[in-house]
Amino acid sequence: MTLTFTDEQEELRHSVRRFLADKAPMASVRTAVETEEGHDRGVWAQMAGQLGLQGIALPEEFGGLGFGAVELGIVLEELGRALSPEPFLATVALAGRALAAAGDDEARRRWLPGIVDGSVTAALAVTEDGGGWSIGALRTVANLPPSATGGSAHSPGRFGRVAALAAGGGVTLTGVKTFVIDGEGADLLVVAARTPEGAAELYAVDATEGPAGLTRTRQEVLDSTRRLARVDLVDVPARPLGLTEIQVSVLLDLAVIAVSAEQVGTAKACLDLSVEYAKTRVQFGRPIGSFQAIKHKCANMLLALESARSALYHAASLAAAPEPDPAELSAAAAVCGAWCAQTAVDAAKETIQIHGGIGFTWEHDSHLYLKRAKSSELLFGVPTTHRARLADLVGI
Amino acid sequence: MTLAATPDTTTETDEEFRARLRAFLTDHHPGKPPRGAAERLAWQKAWLATLFDGGYAGPSWPREFGGMDLPFAQQVIYQEEYSRARVPGPLATGVGIVAPTIIKYGTPEQRDRWLRPMLRGDTIWAQGYSEPDAGSDLPALRTTAKRDGDEYVVNGQKVWNTEADKADILYTLVRTGAPDSRQKGISYLIIDARTPGVTVRPLRDITGGTKFSEIFFSDVRVPVTDRIGEENDGWRLVRTSLGHERAAGAMKQAATYRRVLDELVALAQERGIAGDPLVRDQLAGFEIRVRIMRYSAMRTISDITRHGEPGPGSSTSRLFITTFEQDLHEFAVDMLGADAVLLGGDPDAVQRGRWTKGFLATRASTIGAGTSEIQRNTIAEQVLGLPRDPAMPPR
Repeated sequence: MTLTFTDEQEELRHSVRRFLADKAPMASVRTAVETEEGHDRGVWAQMAGQLGLQGIALPEEFGGLGFGAVELGIVLEELGRALSPEPFLATVALAGRALAAAGDDEARRRWLPGIVDGSVTAALAVTEDGGGWSIGALRTVANLPPSATGGSAHSPGRFGRVAALAAGGGVTLTGVKTFVIDGEGADLLVVAARTPEGAAELYAVDATEGPAGLTRTRQEVLDSTRRLARVDLVDVPARPLGLTEIQVSVLLDLAVIAVSAEQVGTAKACLDLSVEYAKTRVQFGRPIGSFQAIKHKCANMLLALESARSALYHAASLAAAPEPDPAELSAAAAVCGAWCAQTAVDAAKETIQIHGGIGFTWEHDSHLYLKRAKSSELLFGVPTTHRARLADLVGI
Repeated sequence: MTLAATPDTTTETDEEFRARLRAFLTDHHPGKPPRGAAERLAWQKAWLATLFDGGYAGPSWPREFGGMDLPFAQQVIYQEEYSRARVPGPLATGVGIVAPTIIKYGTPEQRDRWLRPMLRGDTIWAQGYSEPDAGSDLPALRTTAKRDGDEYVVNGQKVWNTEADKADILYTLVRTGAPDSRQKGISYLIIDARTPGVTVRPLRDITGGTKFSEIFFSDVRVPVTDRIGEENDGWRLVRTSLGHERAAGAMKQAATYRRVLDELVALAQERGIAGDPLVRDQLAGFEIRVRIMRYSAMRTISDITRHGEPGPGSSTSRLFITTFEQDLHEFAVDMLGADAVLLGGDPDAVQRGRWTKGFLATRASTIGAGTSEIQRNTIAEQVLGLPRDPAMPPR
């Protein structure tokens, strides 16, 4: 396993960084998140058209570039660094990868080309009431198909329980999904639910025609750079992607690694911002960065960041292997989930502290980093959750 | 002892090398250390001689000085296998610190005289850098070496000299320039520890042990030929290292702490407290850190292999490891509760008091070889480019 980037990978990083600095600086991000869509359609289109980013890790047969988890991680790191509000994590890293792994070829052919060319956005709906990012938190009420019962197509189902029911020749979903990243406007919803037999599965819900029974509500959230939606489903037609429970579990672990890449980028942005400010802000007649108290904060940020990068690059290398061992991948995801999230949150907090009063203003960007870092930490499992999972995995 | 025929290392694969090394370390394993300081020293010296005579000493050293001159990938394997075999390491600090300096800056005569006996464990080398008034501010050192014909006359005091009580030879920094010349007036001098006027006094530390000593020099006469490098040019020789042996060493530390953590988890399970949610959370936290330690070492090694340089991750690895080992031992004694007040000599002590001893010993982790505070300053200034404190003298 090599944890060093090739020249081509470094070039990818630089081109994404240049693109984002040019097309989506923080001032543009602030404008974009106030629009109805919550992101910049022009940037999204150029990401696909100029750089081919949406297809970076999607199969070549659908127009993608066919790279792996390492390259995808590089793109996510840069997007996290730029606090990009583009629906990349949801569309590509979460839903897109689920489709790529799908056994249902029709779903792949239906959606992947549009994701690659930027015309389709997608979202992955996992979380139910309680907010757990794991298949263990998925519950379902197994029901007979309506043709068999001749009655209601669904049982009432408790709040937050999504049940997949065979309806006629297809399947319908009923339930509530929460905190669905970029789910409000997504053309495709990939919804985690249990099969009537009780196994975890992902289902494709075509949201382009606004099917009856599907209600999406924007949630009022901490992180303004990332839209979340509550998704209510009542008898909504859906297609199973044809994944095994282990595959679903692996996809959720890959999601944690993807978010960790963003967190590493966010932490890096915080460190850069802090160091730059510490070099130029003068108090007591000298730059505050010449004081040890500030130096040590910055050194600690770098220590945590470099450690986070080691955890991330190891996990990404593992994920890039043709058939990664699910338990090993899960452990790597738990290490990333705990460490990278904590690193980003700590870095954002220190960034505010190092900036002093200006860091507490709405105008300054510090709070945007803190909100993104904290929100991502809360959505994908807090560090104690990841540590508990790791303890399970290694037999502590 | 019979020596194995030298294998054709030019065609050997990494895994063949690993197997050959593992076999040697297994076949010649010296067993458990004997009781008694003198017996233990003899046991360790015998092992180092076995290693040297078998051609398995000095993985990063050139062959002409008895080393193995391994490619970097095999140095990493060497460190992993060495840790795995649980055999004693080098005596004192000479092999790691002064040897690279001698190899790079020594005269041919100095190399011939000093290197092989050091690597074989026949001579023990100890460091004499720090002084009572020159710790973190090492360039303030005041031990003087005044030229007198073909000799220097050395006067002064050194402190925190690791295993100097066993040393045959001392490698020191002395002031040959003006008292205020700081880095520009320091020379690198090798001093025979048995020279008249040298007094080594063991220093009892907080563990109760005497790993460190103080050294007093009173009109000690040292041949000028025992100086390494030019007069007043010793400072730049201080941080010499050989290739990237430190990066390979980081892999060994990661392997060692992997094992130490497994032993702590086993202890927690044995005592029936591993299932306690708070204990479990902490153990999982250490599991994360011990894994990251390994990944960081791997990353540094990948960087070296691909770019020839260790990369940014290596600058922080020491801080990461030193805080880890402190936290781990402190957690261990907390986990043991009252049992951890028992020292190794007590018959009821858990695992011969190793965790309590480690709790005390690792206080030095963030002090020795540059305090964590100084390291953070260095990282902030040299990696992040933050401005220097104007009150500090130039670097």
